[in-house]
Amino acid sequence: MSLNDYYILAIETSCDETSVAVVRNGREVLSNVVSSQIDTHRQFGGVVPEIASRKHVESMTIIIEEAISVAGIGLSDIDTVAVTQGPGLVGALLVGVVAGKSLAMALDVPLIGTHHIAGHIYANHLVGDIVYPSLALVVSGGHTEIVLLESEGKFRILGRTRDDAVGEAYDKVARALQFPYPGGPYVDKLAQSASEEIVLPRSWLEPDSYDFSFSGLKSAVLAEINRSRMKGESPDFSALARGFQQSVIDVVTTKAMKAASAYGAQQVLLCGGVAANRGLRERLAGLCAEAGLPLLIPPHSLCTDNAAMIAAAADLKWRRGEFSTLDLKAEPVFSLEEWSVKD
Amino acid sequence: MTDVRQPTTVTLLALDSSTASMSVAIVRDGQVLESFTTFTERNHSVRVVSEIKEILSRNGIRGEELDGIAIGQGPGSYTGVRIGVTAAKTLAWAWGKPLIGVSSLEALAYSARLKTDSGEAVRPEAWIVPLMDARRGQVYTARYVAGKDAEWHRANEDGIRLIADWTVRLKEHAEIGAEQVEVWLVGDVAAHEAVIAEAQASFAGFRTLACDLDAGALGLLAERRYRSGHRDDVHAFVPNYTQLAEAEAKLLSASRGE
Ligand SMILES: [Zn+2]
Repeated sequence: MSLNDYYILAIETSCDETSVAVVRNGREVLSNVVSSQIDTHRQFGGVVPEIASRKHVESMTIIIEEAISVAGIGLSDIDTVAVTQGPGLVGALLVGVVAGKSLAMALDVPLIGTHHIAGHIYANHLVGDIVYPSLALVVSGGHTEIVLLESEGKFRILGRTRDDAVGEAYDKVARALQFPYPGGPYVDKLAQSASEEIVLPRSWLEPDSYDFSFSGLKSAVLAEINRSRMKGESPDFSALARGFQQSVIDVVTTKAMKAASAYGAQQVLLCGGVAANRGLRERLAGLCAEAGLPLLIPPHSLCTDNAAMIAAAADLKWRRGEFSTLDLKAEPVFSLEEWSVKD
Repeated sequence: MTDVRQPTTVTLLALDSSTASMSVAIVRDGQVLESFTTFTERNHSVRVVSEIKEILSRNGIRGEELDGIAIGQGPGSYTGVRIGVTAAKTLAWAWGKPLIGVSSLEALAYSARLKTDSGEAVRPEAWIVPLMDARRGQVYTARYVAGKDAEWHRANEDGIRLIADWTVRLKEHAEIGAEQVEVWLVGDVAAHEAVIAEAQASFAGFRTLACDLDAGALGLLAERRYRSGHRDDVHAFVPNYTQLAEAEAKLLSASRGE
């Protein structure tokens, strides 16, 4: 321990993971405890907000204690408490926000309300250096965004989904292909192993738009299944999975690379739970190599919702002394751009 | 020679945010040092920690000096209960203090009991029935008996009941005794005015008192419990919702083939 070391304790409860992490000097993960509720929500076929909130209350102090103990530090070593302020499920966010505020008050340290998507993006800072301007492709169950980082902590959203998030589209298609919730990873696997592909439409939207739309693609999958059944055939699930995956990957990577080149990005960052998708990683890696752009992808444990990424984003504000008050409010809808660091 | 059994000074922070009001208090040795209640429904999470910080500082008490934290366990607004319980658990854990959970209904009933003491006299054996509106003609409720001296006990469990059925049950039960008992319906009485008026027409023993939950009352109940050795496990402590989440209830009835 050096005198200049500082410790951020971060809390993340925006959806169905209760997570607490301790990160040293903004980049060194000492602990990142994630308590997943996935087994609970699976029986309902999706996340039930009220149940997620109940589970967060049950595990909150247990997870905080575990994160401290795994980190091997004392409570008095904590220099600041960061907490996901939004976006997310309001009831779930509230539990983390109230716990974070209580802890900051009890320890008499500053509080940093943190943006969840900034967390996903800055998870990359836990594994490598970010070179600006940088282009981030955020793909998760709740989000699909192309974000330009002009400089450190300055976020500009170039494009976002107009309907379903990528992960959401994957889960819905997975359900149609009769996979259990959450089925995204099954679709990826099936698409990888498919020998045939049923080609599905690409939704490019307006020529100059970096936005996305996946609901039409999801409908195309359902229509294809219906068409086969009407003919008394059993639908070729693997060819469909491949067609779906290829369409998603084509659109997402093409738009990301186009934005990277248009804005002179020096680097591409891939993040969010869907960054685990093998097809997506491989394609993006290939395109970045062609364009001569370095690509950063955090390991799986830092891509899915976790508190270490919240600490990584909070570090931006810690170093600038931008703190929140104890009257911090959970924001289910929360602007990333407004959360940018001050000049 | 000092009596070793003589309890030393006990100072508790008390909090409840399960209803439309949020109340914080500090109690010490059977006295309420300060009780502060705000009415910012849907906004309890914004002010909860600041209110606690401010009441401690106004009373010159540091968190480390507390003997424990008393918390309203619900029932009430699901979100509201979670806000209070999360704050109390986190503070108790961080400060290493005991947590003492008290039913929010009991705290509401006791808030009324303290009020009636100073105003209208509650005769011995009066029943105090706290009411918290739970929509669709339902209330979270229980029944407490305020006896002679400081006697106080629970006579019906906390639960969610239809107010119309509940008043009929209370009336039937009250009529069994030889002496007429006073039945105090307290709390959210305005929300159920019509049903209560009907009940009063058929049974003269019903009294009403509109009141809010006072964390001072909660703290006093908790102090008694604290002095008798009661402590709740900080990690294991959970709100008492009295009901399954809707999705769980549906799943359960589906699995029973209903
Ligand atoms: Zn996320």
